[in-house]
Amino acid sequence: MRITPPVNIRRRTFFKNSAMGCAGMALASLLQRDGYAKEGEWVAPDGVSHFTPKVKSVIWLFMNGGVSQVESFDPKPMLNRYAGKTIADTPFADVQDPKKLAIERLVVPDANGNQRNQLFPLQTGFRKHGQSGIEVSDWFPCIARNVDKLAIVRSMWTTDSNHGAQTQFHSGRHRNDGDFPTLGAWIHYGLGSLNDNLPHFISIGKREYWNKRDGHYLGPAHDAVPLRIDPDNPLDFSDPEQPVPVAARKIGQELIQRLNILRGDEYPDDPAIAARIASYELAFRMQKSIPEVVDFSGETAETKTLYGMDQPHSKSFGMQLLAARRFVERGVRFVQIQHGAGGAGSWDAHSGLKKNHATNALAVDQPIGGLLEDLDRRGMLDQTLVVFASEFGRTPGAQRSDGRDHHIFGFTVWMAGGGLKRGVVHGATDEIGFHAVENRHYVTDIHATILHQLGLDSRKLELPERKRLDIDHGSPITEIIA
Amino acid sequence: MNHNRYLWLLVSFVLFAERLQADDVAFYLEEIKPVLKARCYACHGALRQERSLRLDTVPSILDAGILGSGKLLSRITSPDTEVRMPPDGDPLLPAQVDAIRNWIASGASGPDGEMAEDDPRNHWSFQPVMRPSLVSVSDMHPIDALLYVKYHRYGLTPQPEAPRLTQVRRLYFDLIGVPPEQADMETLQGDMHVTWYEQLVDRLLNDPRYGERWGRHWMDIWRYSDWWGLGQELRNSQKHIWHWRDWIVESLNDDTSYDEMIRQMLAADELYPEDLGKLRATGYLARNWFLFNRDPWMDEIVEHVSKGFLGLTMNCSKCHDHKYDPIQQVDFYRMRAFFEPYHVRTDVVPGVSDLVQDGIPRVYDGLLDKPTFLYIRGNEKTPDSSMVITPGVPKLLSFKPIQINPVMLPVSAWQPARRPWVLKAYLDAAREKCETAEGVLRTVREQQESSRDEDQTNGFRLRLAELDLSVAEAELDSIEKRATVLRLSWRRDEKPVNREKKDTAIRSERHLSLLKARRTLLEAEMRLMQSSEEGRKTITEEIKQLQKSLDSAVQKAEEPIGSDELMTPIVGAKWTPTRFLDSRKDDPTVDFQSQSTGRRSALADWITDRRNPLTARVAVNHIWMRHFGAPLVASVFDFGRKSDPPSHPELLDWLASELMDNNWSMKHLHRVIVTSAAYRMSSSSIGGQDNRKKDPENRYWWRRMPIRLESQVVRDTILFLSGVLDRSMGGPPVLPEQQDTSFRRSLYFFHSDNYRNLFLTTFDEASVKECYRREQSIVPQQALALTNSRLIQDASKKIAQSISQTLVVNEDRAFVQKAFAWILGIEVSESEQKAALYALEKWGNLPGSFRETAREQLIWALINHNDFVTVR
Repeated sequence: MRITPPVNIRRRTFFKNSAMGCAGMALASLLQRDGYAKEGEWVAPDGVSHFTPKVKSVIWLFMNGGVSQVESFDPKPMLNRYAGKTIADTPFADVQDPKKLAIERLVVPDANGNQRNQLFPLQTGFRKHGQSGIEVSDWFPCIARNVDKLAIVRSMWTTDSNHGAQTQFHSGRHRNDGDFPTLGAWIHYGLGSLNDNLPHFISIGKREYWNKRDGHYLGPAHDAVPLRIDPDNPLDFSDPEQPVPVAARKIGQELIQRLNILRGDEYPDDPAIAARIASYELAFRMQKSIPEVVDFSGETAETKTLYGMDQPHSKSFGMQLLAARRFVERGVRFVQIQHGAGGAGSWDAHSGLKKNHATNALAVDQPIGGLLEDLDRRGMLDQTLVVFASEFGRTPGAQRSDGRDHHIFGFTVWMAGGGLKRGVVHGATDEIGFHAVENRHYVTDIHATILHQLGLDSRKLELPERKRLDIDHGSPITEIIA
Repeated sequence: MNHNRYLWLLVSFVLFAERLQADDVAFYLEEIKPVLKARCYACHGALRQERSLRLDTVPSILDAGILGSGKLLSRITSPDTEVRMPPDGDPLLPAQVDAIRNWIASGASGPDGEMAEDDPRNHWSFQPVMRPSLVSVSDMHPIDALLYVKYHRYGLTPQPEAPRLTQVRRLYFDLIGVPPEQADMETLQGDMHVTWYEQLVDRLLNDPRYGERWGRHWMDIWRYSDWWGLGQELRNSQKHIWHWRDWIVESLNDDTSYDEMIRQMLAADELYPEDLGKLRATGYLARNWFLFNRDPWMDEIVEHVSKGFLGLTMNCSKCHDHKYDPIQQVDFYRMRAFFEPYHVRTDVVPGVSDLVQDGIPRVYDGLLDKPTFLYIRGNEKTPDSSMVITPGVPKLLSFKPIQINPVMLPVSAWQPARRPWVLKAYLDAAREKCETAEGVLRTVREQQESSRDEDQTNGFRLRLAELDLSVAEAELDSIEKRATVLRLSWRRDEKPVNREKKDTAIRSERHLSLLKARRTLLEAEMRLMQSSEEGRKTITEEIKQLQKSLDSAVQKAEEPIGSDELMTPIVGAKWTPTRFLDSRKDDPTVDFQSQSTGRRSALADWITDRRNPLTARVAVNHIWMRHFGAPLVASVFDFGRKSDPPSHPELLDWLASELMDNNWSMKHLHRVIVTSAAYRMSSSSIGGQDNRKKDPENRYWWRRMPIRLESQVVRDTILFLSGVLDRSMGGPPVLPEQQDTSFRRSLYFFHSDNYRNLFLTTFDEASVKECYRREQSIVPQQALALTNSRLIQDASKKIAQSISQTLVVNEDRAFVQKAFAWILGIEVSESEQKAALYALEKWGNLPGSFRETAREQLIWALINHNDFVTVR
């Protein structure tokens, strides 16, 4: 490939000035890698960490709809003791102090924005596990088996008590503020890939409710590439929709590149030609490498069982997590997996919480437990950060007779591996799991922790024309970092 | 620990000291001034002088006496947030405070002759547009003459004219969004007329596809979006908003002037209240409709009216005074006040009475007295209700007083049932229903006669069909009678409505309800008969209820009619219900009013006034950017003080004057631009090595910039080259499930915040939230879409066939030459020819392959060529 620098800078200032402020699109990063970028101007990040990273990759497990904190990783026996009592009649009446409720930002009112006053008992048991003795609900036995690998943050809060909080959990911004890049996009933007044959940022599982895009003002090049766990059809347009002989394809691919190179001689100052040649090379490589990653024929039966792939209820999620491990093994930075698509998310148990959560837990517990064990035994857990989260928790009070409503004031997220402490609990909610009361963390603190482990400083990533607020950056939760 | 810290301080002090000795002025310029500028100038600079304090030059800082007194340091370091400066945002970083302290300690030096920040009133974009006097360089095109000034100054030589094929392809894409037909391409290649180019320009500007091409550009800027919501619930934009899209396309084709288009979009309901065609324009405002909350709706309007038409970022002043521009917080709310009264409704169109099927979404002032309040710190929960904000514009731009005159509306605007086509639409629909019901009944009868089957279901079917006809007839009767009453009431406005006629209408309606109740019951009875044992119980229960409803309908039909009883009106328009009040049901209806506030037409008048320094400049910058690939003012939606000044201020002003002096005709401006030598230049830098050294960024336009085709053009071109592009214009959008098999132009695809077409998205589809400038990314997904999609595979076959058919001698060399010319606009070079022929041969030698399949492969490769998606 012979394309002569210097690069046309006006094209690059385009990134700075375009309406979406989209900086550092694929073109810029390609140019960067090829050493074509010029001194002096503000430039997109160069894919190098700002300080020594602890981890290489992130597997992000997002439970759509809102997992009940009290029936998962933050059990509250007081709910059994005061079951059926109105909160105002319990010793915890002050949780409904309007001042404490003021963080809620409910702009789109719907049936779910209400206080649920009557305490609802725990719908499953819980017990202590592992050496750490951390309490986990009985719906998650396999994750519980690995509790000594987890750093559990029980003191999360957010502000949007509708499912727009799904977007908020990924971008840090309430949906009414507009569209902002998600965590995966920032990481992609900051670090790029470890592997030139695969996309850098992958999304698995349907994204129905929350915003389907990631890059926003960073540009569409930083959107996740959506993949399916199907070796025959893993990504959009991954294979010719009408069959073409491989040999014919190869001739064509060579011709395309050859003609583009020839054209580059005529237009030596057009950086798009170099970028297009590079993008075709990556595309051709992706076409080969992605089906191989999602083809599990090389995995043992024992591994498949470990991921719950032998059980119908956990097979689908197990396949996604096994694929995630295989992607991470091959250097993909950020694998974002959504569980429970459809409507507002399958964990959204406004009624029938017991059946709802039992079913959902059954689908994810074995695969997640298996993933943690598999990463550990392969020595990958130190360099991989696994995150388990949902957009908010659920109310301590009952909705209708047997459900829980959305709850933004206190909920739980856990992380595992990736240079974090193991078998620790950080932060706490009050005795009925209503408010985060100790070491409170907004969702962006999770982002900051992950970026920190990846060796990134979000303040160095931000665009000059898109200054972010402190709360957008968040702060790393240093207490859980090993 | 402490020890280290002192050591560090010592070291840093030594470093500071050294540095200050070396160049303390430079220290001020590099470390102090940027901090002051970023954090303090907004209140203590040219924009404002709070407490008469200016911090934009060292002398003014010294004069204020805040250094010696220690006041500056104490204010920036105070722990008390009421005292601490700056009051907004985070305190200065400790390192910044240290730097300021050190700078003061070493004598607070600054450069000689330091200039104060320029008065914001002097900012270039706020100055009146002046037509620059052209230095006449023989008969040079004015654009070239203006560019020439810079060529001359920087010693640049413009590149030569692009090859003819390139020019032809460029012009087609630019003006109509598709390439030429193969035959046209060849004709144009050999056209020897001196004026071939000018003739082509005229032909393309008169082609209706011009409106589609440029319509899509303006749809980006004006944020066109089909409706979206949750499931079937409308939450954003409007159903049938495509009428506005059709208005855009038609207006551009008619060369409606730009100022008139703005007036219609902002205020057609006040200016042309009886012209349905023009009312479509207010879709611009109807698109911002939001079911749940007025504030984000209004915020978006203010933001995008000011960004889109004026190049002002008024959104920055929602919470506080603008940090860069002379726009106060109150100005945001004054702008909002122009829009405060408006709501959205859908008007009945001729021929369709059902607003679910069709109708024109448009705006009207429904809340004539709704006050606008300033929100303290932008928080909608804390309105400052002590003062009602009246409509107005930033002081700096009030070159004339805003005159707001209420508009008395013709009665048909607020009683739209009076429009001649409305009653007719209802009557026609009712008649058609009768005919359909008659037809069904006839068919059922015929079937039953021929089968002679005594099945019980058949009996029900027949009775249902009979009843359906009765219902349809009753409906027609009811509409006829109500129409009569309405017509009478319009004729004698003052007199009471004819009592007898009204009673007849009411009785007819009662009869209709009775028949409907009977029909529902009969249908339930039929279900009961067909039901399985376990289903019977619920249906029996249902039937009981339905029988009750029927009984009360029967009873009602016989009751005497009360003197105050009203008939159901026939509506000519329907308010789009909002849900701002958290009541789980629609808000109270916002009635149509006999007058409009006149606020929006006053705003439109101010925006389109020739004296407005921003409107024309912003427009020509947008137009220039789409012709040339890069704008003259880089931040196309921000012409404020934060933006970079234009690279060619005189050119920008000349274009703006040219637009306004020619009645704001966009076609005129297109013609002027595309006939300049600058437009026709080559985008190659070959031969311009000297230019490249002097101006590597091509800031002064010594060559053209290549442009990546927009998503819609990529798809349209593929269909066009295959000969299948559907030329039909306008109408409802192509729904997502129909898009894969549709041959319509891409601008007609349903496109909203929730739904975007996969293929188009791959090539940077416009975001409906904001898209003042389309992205031009280059990502692997584009390669996958162009190599693997059925769209391309199908097209390759068809294109190869059509080229082969035009060959006089069926040989590959000619095929390659024609294919490069038509598909890429490239006169094929010897080495390209060689590469292509080599590939054709290899393809041809594959087992099972023959000449035509090899050619299909070649076409496939050319569609994947970089220049296929590039305007050279």
